[in-house]
Amino acid sequence: MIRLNVNDEEIETDAEPDTALLWVLREHLGLTGTKFGCGAGMCGACTVHVDGVPTFSCLTSIDTLEGMNVTTIEGLSPDGTHPLQRAWIAEQVPQCGYCQSGQIMRAAALLKETADPERSEILDYMSPNLCRCGTYNRIVKAVQRAAREV
Amino acid sequence: MQKASESSLRGQLNRRRFLQSASALTFAIGSYGIVAVSRTSAHDTASTGISAWVRIGADDRVHVIFPSTEMGQGSSTALPLILAEDLDADWDKVVVEQLNRDDRSFGNPIFGNILYTAGSTGVYGYFDSLRIAGAQARHILMRAAATTWGVPTAEVTTEPGAVLHEASARRLSFGEIAAQPIDDLSVPELSVADLKPLSSFRLIGSDLPRRDIPAKSKGRETYAIDVRVPGMLFATVQRAPVEGAKVAGIEDSDALAVPGVVQILTLPDGVAVVAERLEAALAGKERLEVTWTGAEAEGTADSDTTLLDYAAALKDPTAERATWSEAGDAASAIADAERVVEAEYLSDYAYHAQIEPMAAVASVDRDGLGAEVWVGTQTQTWSMRTVTETLGTTADRVRLHAMTMGGSFGRRTALQQEYLSDALLISREMKRPVKLVWTREDDVKNGCLRPAAVQRLRAGLTADGALSGWEHRVATPSVIAYFNQLRWEQVRPKDIISMRGSESQFYALPDKHAEHVVTERHARLAPWRGIGASYTSFAAEAFMDELALEARKDPIAFRMALLASNPRGQKLLTRVAEMADWERPRERTALGLSFAGYGDSMAAGIAEIALDRESGVITVPRFWSAVDAGLIVSPDNALAQIEGGIVFGLSSSLKERITISEGEIEQSNYYDYEILRANEVPEIEIHLEKSEHRPTGIGEVGTPMVAAAVSNAFHALTGKRLRHLPFTPERVLAALA
Repeated sequence: MIRLNVNDEEIETDAEPDTALLWVLREHLGLTGTKFGCGAGMCGACTVHVDGVPTFSCLTSIDTLEGMNVTTIEGLSPDGTHPLQRAWIAEQVPQCGYCQSGQIMRAAALLKETADPERSEILDYMSPNLCRCGTYNRIVKAVQRAAREV
Repeated sequence: MQKASESSLRGQLNRRRFLQSASALTFAIGSYGIVAVSRTSAHDTASTGISAWVRIGADDRVHVIFPSTEMGQGSSTALPLILAEDLDADWDKVVVEQLNRDDRSFGNPIFGNILYTAGSTGVYGYFDSLRIAGAQARHILMRAAATTWGVPTAEVTTEPGAVLHEASARRLSFGEIAAQPIDDLSVPELSVADLKPLSSFRLIGSDLPRRDIPAKSKGRETYAIDVRVPGMLFATVQRAPVEGAKVAGIEDSDALAVPGVVQILTLPDGVAVVAERLEAALAGKERLEVTWTGAEAEGTADSDTTLLDYAAALKDPTAERATWSEAGDAASAIADAERVVEAEYLSDYAYHAQIEPMAAVASVDRDGLGAEVWVGTQTQTWSMRTVTETLGTTADRVRLHAMTMGGSFGRRTALQQEYLSDALLISREMKRPVKLVWTREDDVKNGCLRPAAVQRLRAGLTADGALSGWEHRVATPSVIAYFNQLRWEQVRPKDIISMRGSESQFYALPDKHAEHVVTERHARLAPWRGIGASYTSFAAEAFMDELALEARKDPIAFRMALLASNPRGQKLLTRVAEMADWERPRERTALGLSFAGYGDSMAAGIAEIALDRESGVITVPRFWSAVDAGLIVSPDNALAQIEGGIVFGLSSSLKERITISEGEIEQSNYYDYEILRANEVPEIEIHLEKSEHRPTGIGEVGTPMVAAAVSNAFHALTGKRLRHLPFTPERVLAALA
């Protein structure tokens, strides 16, 4: 049994120690807001926070997480009203929506590091996260909107 | 009079009783509006034998069935909104429900009434029928209320969600009307001419938020890959690496040794690893060794050779040819011209790269002849057919859930959907529900591609630099013949997927010949955002710039002359030139123009590019576009779609390339099939023309113009031409050498 702290809850899992956090979140715990895109750290759809740091959950074995705090999109805000989520709705960012949990989690880390990021800072910081629908410019607007509100 | 007594009796019923006896008004819709109306109890829509496309409940809710499927394009908001407009519904009371059956009574009229979400056809295909149906339903509600009040129907009107009789200050909500007995359920004859004027639109043209966006901003949208069913197993599949190959041998002892792996199953085109957990199924697949045999001819295909073959076909008089678009006598006009210009353009295979890999959940009934399935699909019709064909059953035994898709761009359109049939076969064998998940590597290696193509353009110029004759030959396989044989029987030899765009319909080309040189297929193929126009418009618009240069004319002026009978197109060119400040010389960058579009939607685009001459990397800091897609239902979403289409076009122009060696796709994942990242996206400015013309689609109009705009800008910057898509650094360096 491995113990994890996910979204401020202690959980125990009987998953193998080398199991990717992504599968434990999605298939063991039912936290399907975190998405599988590539399994190689190339698309960012699986981005979660580990002790506040944006992390590819597809490349993170659960046995490396003892005593650490994992936050997923479900835990970013209990009712889904984090300033970024409100901004995402206000700017009508998502199209297919599949990458957007990962985008929001990465953006949340950015706003913790940089209170008022410029366009180029946002684009650089968000580059690990792919969006095939091409919502990047709206993501910039939404991050800046959220930054004004934070 | 019976009506009066009923009416007075009803007056005595309190609100609670009213709701207890709740009934609903349901409307069946077809291509020409409402075909039947009935009153049912609230939970009894199935027993009427008609399709309850719209259901107004006593609770005032208006349930509207969404006949397309949602892959990010926003039509799950746009289509119900069109009906709500003419119904004068309270938008907040409109509940959108996904159509989960192959009910062709209200299928996509653009595709012979099959349920098919593709080709940017949702809004324009359903526009008139949704409007007429909405207006008819409104009339039926008004007539019922007028009868209740004993006043002429002409005296009543509506406000959102209610019928009013202003003279007597009476009001009945739609729900109150639906709950009462209605004698006259006849369908009024209405046509487009009877619909409300565009000037009184309340919903269409306003920027109402999309319905799907809150859930997608909270991680709460459910895609097929997210579905969890009690008792579910997980499966991964090692599919044949080369089309047509069959299993020769399986070494599965290591795979079976993975804790949680329960079975290895041989499928028609692959081997499945079935496990109690997804991670075990994935680990098992890593340890599975399968040998294959008997690949078909295309198994030996090599993408470099394929391009050579296609180029050779252009010159081969015995090659199969199908005229795609013809006017006048192009050959004679060119022969009579002062100068003849010719050029050849190449384009590589491209992959959809939607971020959700293929996935399906299937739960086959114990008798093996029925199933519940959850799958992302662009077509309920062909997904249903995949199930019935796979199980040898009938549609009434299938419970389909057409799930929201994590992108699709044409990927989930095929007649036979292998990810779905595999899930069904595994579930039937295991007698348990199964979630089948493709890895990214599976998704790339089993990709259904935009075909490679070689195109030859030939045109004449008169002494004063006017165009005289235009020939556009496209050597590429037929996509439709591969991905949907049933459709091919209806449309052959005209393949819109392979050829769209080469008709160059926006220009006045009195002597034109566009021809499909039908080549051998060397890969699995599918529609891909922009379909043929993604490469035919590249060739046509890059060639247009070559002609303008040859004629010593400005690229805008040269095109303007060809748009003399297309003032809407001229307006877009003028506008985009203003937006980009076309005349102003840049220091380190250059501009390139393109005028393309998709179907009847037109787009003018200008790319500003910069070049690192050391690395050969092109960057695009800015892109401007002016678009005319007719009447726009949801302007903000249209801008998002067009911008997305531009990003898609730019990504594919600069980076995306699938290569095939000995029949196998060589790429594996986003590290060797790169798509545009955030730090590579241009600033994009879009002007959306306000128009009262019919809507013509916005999902793909952004894509086709992009490649030529970039290549034309490259010529402006360097004096060299890029004639092979994508413009990879190697090709850029080769062009500069």
